[in-house]
Amino acid sequence: MKLSLSSHHQLLLDALINPSTLTQYTYAQWELLLRLARKVKLLGFLAVELERRKLLDTIPVRVVSQLRSSLIRANKQQQLAFWELDRINWALKSIRVPIIVLKGVAYQLAKLPTAEGRFFVDLDILVPKDDLDQVEKALLKEGWKHREISAYDEHYYRAWSHEIPALIHQERETEIDIHHTISPITSKIKIDSRLLIDAAIASQSGHKILNPTDMALHCVVNLFQNNDLVDNLRDLLDLHDQLQYFASHDSAFWNKLIERANQLRLGHSLYYGMQYSRLIFQTAIPENTEQRLIQKPSVVSQLIMRQLVPLALFPLHPDKASKRAKFARFLLYLRSHWIRMPFYLLIPHLLYKTMLRFKPGK
Amino acid sequence: MIVEQIPVDQFIAQLSHSGIRVKLGPINVLIRTEVPQLAKQLHFLYAYYDIVENEIVDIHTHVLPKFSFNNPFSSFVRFTVDGQSPFPPFPADQALAALEWGINLVIAVRVNHLLMFHSAAVERNGSLILLPAWPGSGKTTLCTALIHRGYRLFSDEFGLMDPISDFFTPIPRLMPLKNQSIQVIRDYLPEAVLGEEIYNTQKGTIAHVRPPRDHIFKTDQVARAKWIIFPKWTANAPLKLEPLAQSEAFLLLASNSFNYEILGESAFRAVTRLIRKCQCYQLVYSDLDSALAMFNKLTDEA
Repeated sequence: MKLSLSSHHQLLLDALINPSTLTQYTYAQWELLLRLARKVKLLGFLAVELERRKLLDTIPVRVVSQLRSSLIRANKQQQLAFWELDRINWALKSIRVPIIVLKGVAYQLAKLPTAEGRFFVDLDILVPKDDLDQVEKALLKEGWKHREISAYDEHYYRAWSHEIPALIHQERETEIDIHHTISPITSKIKIDSRLLIDAAIASQSGHKILNPTDMALHCVVNLFQNNDLVDNLRDLLDLHDQLQYFASHDSAFWNKLIERANQLRLGHSLYYGMQYSRLIFQTAIPENTEQRLIQKPSVVSQLIMRQLVPLALFPLHPDKASKRAKFARFLLYLRSHWIRMPFYLLIPHLLYKTMLRFKPGK
Repeated sequence: MIVEQIPVDQFIAQLSHSGIRVKLGPINVLIRTEVPQLAKQLHFLYAYYDIVENEIVDIHTHVLPKFSFNNPFSSFVRFTVDGQSPFPPFPADQALAALEWGINLVIAVRVNHLLMFHSAAVERNGSLILLPAWPGSGKTTLCTALIHRGYRLFSDEFGLMDPISDFFTPIPRLMPLKNQSIQVIRDYLPEAVLGEEIYNTQKGTIAHVRPPRDHIFKTDQVARAKWIIFPKWTANAPLKLEPLAQSEAFLLLASNSFNYEILGESAFRAVTRLIRKCQCYQLVYSDLDSALAMFNKLTDEA
């Protein structure tokens, strides 16, 4: 399978895969690149990559200012998220509940290479479903509160989602998303989150995080199951980073990953994850590894997704968005709902969402 | 080349097609708009800004007409940056206010390589006076008076400080006078150039002061601060300039910065150095004559 991208997508990808070529970029190329990278939340990544290669002195000053500005913001967000983690551990120390840290903060805890410079505005944690009430009550008692949301959204979260409405502390802005599993409870795939929690490991700092296979699986589920993939290039880059890093530290990683995906019945998402990570970022995945997955998307689905996924992952051209890309994104939006909810829930939900668009204030 | 050198018809056409790239101090901004009224206002008020050639533009803005389902018979405009609107549409006759506000917002959100105070800043005899103030304290009015009486404009909104070299960078933008201040400035400074009055904005009536030509031409001349003065306009109050304790000045300045918290330690160190090197005052004034005399005396003594 070969990837053919439009020129602005290629420009962005070249920069991500091979940052040392950036020293050759013209002003016009830089200008476009910065806009695209900002859109997919990768300015901090570029800043770190260039800094590591000691190339910040060789690129235009204006670019350095933008990259440094982003990196400073990313560092601050990381500091805030870690402080929030410290605070919830403090608030929950009296109740003996396993708290598993997910996503960006977990990538930092796992010391993944691309975690530095990564933006994240919230802290994601996973707790056993049976302990959810207890955790929520304890946090509400210690000064956290729910953001104000509509009754519909409240119902959406409580009845159908894999997380509860976000919490924020009264004095701080950092959002905490508390998950009880990693995919909406209405989706066709049911995941027993107990298995994930039991297999969690301790990071060097003593926090609990998902083990390597589960972390990668959570990443693919988020990409190909929970979301519509729009502007999610960063998350695919996270996956690429995890696969490379874990495989280089454990020669049995690929076997473990396939086995675990088969056990949790997450073959679909992992199949796509491995394919697109290899296709776009040239991840060194041994050939045919994904063929050992029990569940695979059908050939027809694969062909359709192949037409849509890159157009959604990569950002639209900021000045001339292609109609094809917009249409691809719309179809993937529908797909994400379709696999997340049964039909009888989906139609009213989409109608409600459409109605909201025409409400005053929009 | 500066904006004024482009014929107005060509300027309007270019704005609606590929946009105009202008240098606003350290930030290059691309402005695109199909709103002819806004284009005419910009040709006049942005007359002295440099057109950016062969340089990277930092912020890409677009002001476009927007149809409203809830209000189909009024015309609205939408401000977007890279295709996204950071705030709801504005009535079309407030397009200039939307653009100016939008650009300020993007600068405030994105720029972290400089420490950014919510402050007016002017320069005299090579040194900078920082005038940090909260909305409603009359800093734009005071700043407008100062820059027409021998002080060089850095900004009426952003004090941009390099946290390594401690130099401030000018970013002379249009200065929005609000409500009664408009008439005050018309009476006091007949030579000040103002744009059209814009009514019923969130802040009432606004008229923008065009920064004088020489001030815009000198945007590359940076300066270090020597005075920090917290001004407060109070009706009929006698002029009062009181020294401010460094500790108090520090707290006021840090809490008035847009990105002090984001910069963290480097901001703490920069503000500490700044406070130690500057004379800090609190100023209460009601009339511009005595305020100007006070500023002259203070900066002459230097």
